[in-house]
Amino acid sequence: MLCRSDPITLRLVFDAFLGVQVALGFSFCYYIFLPDLPSLPRRPSALPSRSVAGRRNEPILAQSRMSRRYDSRTTIFSPEGRLYQVEYAMEAIGNAGAAIGILARDGVILVGEKKVTSKLLQTSRSTEKMYKIDDHLACAVAGIMSDANILINTARVQAQRYTFAYQEPMPVEQLVQSLCDTKQGYTQFGGLRPFGVSFLFAGWDKNYGFQLYMSDPSGNYSGWKAAAIGANNQAAQSMLKQDYKDDFTREEAVQLALKVLSKTMDSTSLTSEKLELAEIFVEPSGDVKYQVCKPELLEKLLVKHGVTQAATEST
Amino acid sequence: MSIFEYNGSAVVAMVGKNCFAIASDRRLGVNLQTIATDFQRIFKIHDKLYIGLSGLATDVQTLYQRLIFRHKLYQLREERDMKPQTFASLVSALLYEKRFGPYFCMPVIAGLGDDDAPFICTMDCIGAKELAKDFVVSGTASESLYGACESMYKPNMEPEELFETISQALLSSVDRDCLSGWGGHVLLVTPTEVQERTLKGRMD
Repeated sequence: MLCRSDPITLRLVFDAFLGVQVALGFSFCYYIFLPDLPSLPRRPSALPSRSVAGRRNEPILAQSRMSRRYDSRTTIFSPEGRLYQVEYAMEAIGNAGAAIGILARDGVILVGEKKVTSKLLQTSRSTEKMYKIDDHLACAVAGIMSDANILINTARVQAQRYTFAYQEPMPVEQLVQSLCDTKQGYTQFGGLRPFGVSFLFAGWDKNYGFQLYMSDPSGNYSGWKAAAIGANNQAAQSMLKQDYKDDFTREEAVQLALKVLSKTMDSTSLTSEKLELAEIFVEPSGDVKYQVCKPELLEKLLVKHGVTQAATEST
Repeated sequence: MSIFEYNGSAVVAMVGKNCFAIASDRRLGVNLQTIATDFQRIFKIHDKLYIGLSGLATDVQTLYQRLIFRHKLYQLREERDMKPQTFASLVSALLYEKRFGPYFCMPVIAGLGDDDAPFICTMDCIGAKELAKDFVVSGTASESLYGACESMYKPNMEPEELFETISQALLSSVDRDCLSGWGGHVLLVTPTEVQERTLKGRMD
């Protein structure tokens, strides 16, 4: 059409070109002036600013005012680039009963500290902090148990779905990752709160053998040779770092875990009522086994490794 | 020809004194052509609970996998094995879920419950339970199995006699059916042990 140089067509094309120019020009102006428009960048929620204004008379530290404004939502970064709700969740876990996991040559062990031990408490299940997820995989929990129950349930279903689809056990890291994806989702979407739970996962799979993973409320996870979560986890972690050896047997690992717990736990004496011990290992038949240590046996172990001396002396 | 008869099958379970036996044939066919002679139709749910699935082989395997899925989650949550009665209800519910597009299998469930009381039961393909005190049958050879079991069964048999009875009933029944046979597979479950035996019959 254009080749014929029809004047009307040419005119139309020119007009269209001019139109584009004008439009571009206007939008450019708009772009420049936009930041100065007073009402646009405002957030619809007036809540944070009101709360700050309400306390104008109180002396508030700059830091805390800063956090007040950004901690009501999980999904908003503070100006320093932090997610306060997630950090508070991690803080909450710091008060929960501790759990230690150690990777050994012939298995993985998990030791946990039970916080609530009332004689009146009726427990329906054998363990309070240890949960079997599949035959080859278990976890120890620190944090809010109600949150943990949700996650453990999804983990169990995930593991069974995998087995249903592929007729083989789910690789350990894949399961940890799928659970951490769920945790991460609650730090980004919805404006709810994050899961207040840290996990230690102990498992075995045919590709990577025995494995130990630690996860936190942000959805981060990492593989460890020895790890601690819950109360005094930093002290425990540094003790583990000092005393861990690569060629530990399960028994040596249990000994180390009990020693570390006896030093980091608030209570003076270590008893079998306050502890839980679980192990994952491969039986001679080739099956992976998750075994929870019986209280009587645990008591014997405590005496054997000499961490319960204080209790026996006092009684 | 019905889809239930496509692969051919014979499954039977019998109750003895504090024990039970469950048996099946080993043939997998496509109509009249035999494809395999070591096909498994009896599956273990836990040490004292077994399910035999007659009918279409592909549905047998899928249904078994779904049952394992559900039973595993139950085990993890409850920290114990399922009772046979509970399991029967689960199977029934899973089957009825597919009321208008069913799995083409008819299950036979046999297990030892509390106090090692034997439990047997069968269902149609949409989960209608049929409980029995003596024996249950299912599969293309079910008609002849009914006849054989009715004439051979005695109440309160000891394990060895129960094994003999169920084996004879199975082998004589599959000889009257073109679509099942090629030996048999028998499981004899007592409170203390499980015996698994493979039978040779008319291998043709």
